[in-house]
Amino acid sequence: MTFAETAGVGTADAVPTPVLAARTRGLRKLYRNTVAVDHVDLDVPEGAVLGMLGPNGSGKTTTIRMMLGLTTPTAGEIELFGARLPEAAQSVLPQVGALVEGPGFHPFLSGRENLLRCAAAEPLLKSAAIPAAVSEALERVGLSDAANRRYRGYSLGMKQRMGLAAALLVPRRFVVLDEPTNGLDPAGTREVRAVIADLHKSGTTVLVSSHLLSEVEATCTHVAVLHQGTVVAQGELKDLLEASNAGLLVSTPEVTAAVDALRDNRIPARAVPDGILVDLAATSAPEVVATLVRADIPVYEVHRQRTGLEDLFAQLTETP
Amino acid sequence: MTTLAPVRAPILRLLRSELRWIYRRPRTLILLGLLALYPILFGIGTQVVDAPVRANGDQSVVAAVAGNAMMLPVIVLSTTMVFFLPLGTTMTASDALAGEASHGTLRGLLLAPVSRIRLLAVKAFGVAVVSAGAAVMTALIAFVTGLIIAGPDSLVTFSGTTLPLADGLWRVVVATGWVIVQMWAIGAIALAVSAATEHPLLVMASVIGGLFVFGLLSSIPVLDWLHPFLITESWDSIVDVLRDPMPWENLTTGFLRALCYIVIGYSLALARMVTKDS
Amino acid sequence: MNTKKTALAVAGAGVLAGVVGLGILAVPAGADEPPPVLPSITAEQLVESVANAKIPALNGKVSAQENLGLPIKVLDGMNSATVWADGQNRFRATVPGRTSERTLVEDGGTLWTWDSQKNTVTKHSHGQQATPENLAGKDPATLGKDLLGLVRQYSDVKVDGTARVATRPAYELVVTPKPTERTLLREVRVAVDSETRLPLRLQVLANGQADPALKVEFTELTVGPQDAKLFQFTPPQGATVKERTDAGKPHNEAEGRKGLQDFVSGLNLQTVGDGWDTTFVAKLPGDLNSMLGQARGDGNGKARDMDVTSLLKSFGKEVSGPYGTGYVFSTKVATALVTTDGRVAVGAVPEQVLVEALGQVK
Repeated sequence: MTFAETAGVGTADAVPTPVLAARTRGLRKLYRNTVAVDHVDLDVPEGAVLGMLGPNGSGKTTTIRMMLGLTTPTAGEIELFGARLPEAAQSVLPQVGALVEGPGFHPFLSGRENLLRCAAAEPLLKSAAIPAAVSEALERVGLSDAANRRYRGYSLGMKQRMGLAAALLVPRRFVVLDEPTNGLDPAGTREVRAVIADLHKSGTTVLVSSHLLSEVEATCTHVAVLHQGTVVAQGELKDLLEASNAGLLVSTPEVTAAVDALRDNRIPARAVPDGILVDLAATSAPEVVATLVRADIPVYEVHRQRTGLEDLFAQLTETP
Repeated sequence: MTTLAPVRAPILRLLRSELRWIYRRPRTLILLGLLALYPILFGIGTQVVDAPVRANGDQSVVAAVAGNAMMLPVIVLSTTMVFFLPLGTTMTASDALAGEASHGTLRGLLLAPVSRIRLLAVKAFGVAVVSAGAAVMTALIAFVTGLIIAGPDSLVTFSGTTLPLADGLWRVVVATGWVIVQMWAIGAIALAVSAATEHPLLVMASVIGGLFVFGLLSSIPVLDWLHPFLITESWDSIVDVLRDPMPWENLTTGFLRALCYIVIGYSLALARMVTKDS
Repeated sequence: MNTKKTALAVAGAGVLAGVVGLGILAVPAGADEPPPVLPSITAEQLVESVANAKIPALNGKVSAQENLGLPIKVLDGMNSATVWADGQNRFRATVPGRTSERTLVEDGGTLWTWDSQKNTVTKHSHGQQATPENLAGKDPATLGKDLLGLVRQYSDVKVDGTARVATRPAYELVVTPKPTERTLLREVRVAVDSETRLPLRLQVLANGQADPALKVEFTELTVGPQDAKLFQFTPPQGATVKERTDAGKPHNEAEGRKGLQDFVSGLNLQTVGDGWDTTFVAKLPGDLNSMLGQARGDGNGKARDMDVTSLLKSFGKEVSGPYGTGYVFSTKVATALVTTDGRVAVGAVPEQVLVEALGQVK
């Protein structure tokens, strides 16, 4: 489907391409006969904080694992910084830090020993720089005091922060965080948001997956919404918000009659707590008001309401 | 678009880190402790059991079998190689891939990234060092225990000849090396299983259980066509180093058979490593 | 993707190579070699050369297999002895056990036997070398001729082609009982090394059996000088040494031997028939049950008798005839008949011949 397009990108530097930290085309993953992910065309612009939003089971983690070379896609292509995976794994992955599917560490080792072990595998770390890098990462996530305790005794939040520390052992160009605030208390969540903001400020591209909208709304510049294994919307957060259908909130005591009257005139509307919400995609505000008046519906108040990301999310993932 | 050169973490650093991880694990240390204790207890045990028999002016079978500095290490090796050494080897191999996968740490290594082939090499090295180290330690302790108990003139072979110390040591070295290669074969198979699962206990159960089944199969005469394919088939011949002159035939066959197992095991592990989803 | 494909190809080749390797190790080497072409030789020449032959310096492995049809394998665990000879009547042999070894060293003046399981050395000084010449008192050529003459009375002897034993070319000498002989045996085959004239393989074949009832053979043989140290033996530290000499034989041993002779003559041992049909007939002192009770050192009651009877029944077949009742024990190469009144007949013959032999003894 997208082979011609990608061939062009792969071969020539002359073709002007937007600077992308990550790019997938036609990504597909089958587990036995179940389609986990299909037709995933994802663009992560360099410098962006992209929120990958989707309910549990929508294929976020599978997509991330394929993007990092952990899982082999059934079909499709992956590029990181313009280089194809898995061939270029050894040259691009050192620049990528990731926390995937929760933190993974050995319970019998201390936090510091665990990180020393991770650091030993990091290609971009010079052997002499390892102890300092580990201390710095521990400091950054606030685990310095607990560094010499066994990982076994860490709280859920501390474990999550260890995962973050491992991803941040080396200055990265791209950081992938899969559900980073899982199990964190509000203070911990704020800390993670601060870390993401820091990374963004320093020019690092960040991909955060979450099933929580507030999370994405609070931290991201870009958003991609996954639903049942496919990307149903993606783009800059502000574009997505603007492009989304504005609604007209009509305050009225006769909710049912109002909805019926509008529907009789082929204007989509639905009941909300304060009255009805009218979709303005195919109509205009004056026409809605006129229709209601013609139907003798009392109207107390009418005002335009821009949908929040939450509404967008609900719309996109609503099962028909 | 920038062109990036592939970078790798120095292999020695990876190997050192792997060993540090293995030898920090409590159960590795417990098993090594038991292995260190076993020859000492075995040596003392033969002396204690032997004492009343010798008082009657006779020699016990145990003393004849294990009461000298030459036989003690070999008998100790031949008894540990059927259970404790395979256990330690399999344990290390099961932790190496399945265990790391179940802790989620395998992901971390692959993401660093350590290439899958390199990672398998690092893991194979770890397993090889643990099994070799355990065998050498056990044999050395047994040899020294034997020398202390029975003295340097006690290097008597099954054939009734008495060997000079250097010859005796050479035989023990041969036996140890041979056992190490057998354990490497077990380790190769265990790593292949370890690469195929996320449950370390499954690796332990299948490999140790498999050895047990091999033992059963080799005692069924109808299946004698199958016997030369079983790794355990030549394990009895380790005592050949106690015969004088030393018959190399069975030891050589056993060595080659172990090599075949090593090749098969690491081939399967390699195939699984490059295709597996982590 | 390329690395992955290469790795998979390497892995596939590796698995294949490993399995093939195991297969090669499983197949015994050197099978199915065609029989060698050797200059023809008569049976007389062959037998004479065997009698003339001296055992050269060699190192080999000897295995013995039996298929006698007994409930217990009598040669079990004896299937791989290693032998050495220095060509000057010094020998060494070892019979390996699973975790032990028995060793026998003939150093020219002393015969040493060593049992690692018992940690015991037996030293037997016989002063001079035991050689075939000493034993027979005749020159080998005559010995061979006499022997062949004796055998030919009852048998056909011929050279039946060649064979390869332990990779060495050999003549097959076959001794077949004459048709008039009523033996259970079909033939005895001896493979004789074409170069050293050493018997390399002995096979005893019974009637109606494809596999030899008894087979003793070299599975490996190297002719050549051997390390002189092999033919010396020093008892190891801590071993029990038992000494035996021909010269100063202990008194009680002579007595013991006399006792044995008395016992044997008391058996009233006779042979009936000749050649392959030769049957040994003896009379046990007392009847069967009391005899067996005695042999076990006591006669305490019925339980023991019951045991003996059930034991006999499990191994033998209860029969009756002109001799009364008894038990027949059959193997593929020999039959034994024990009567309830204590008479015994044994031979490489069918049961009927034993019954006749018993009838001829008063």
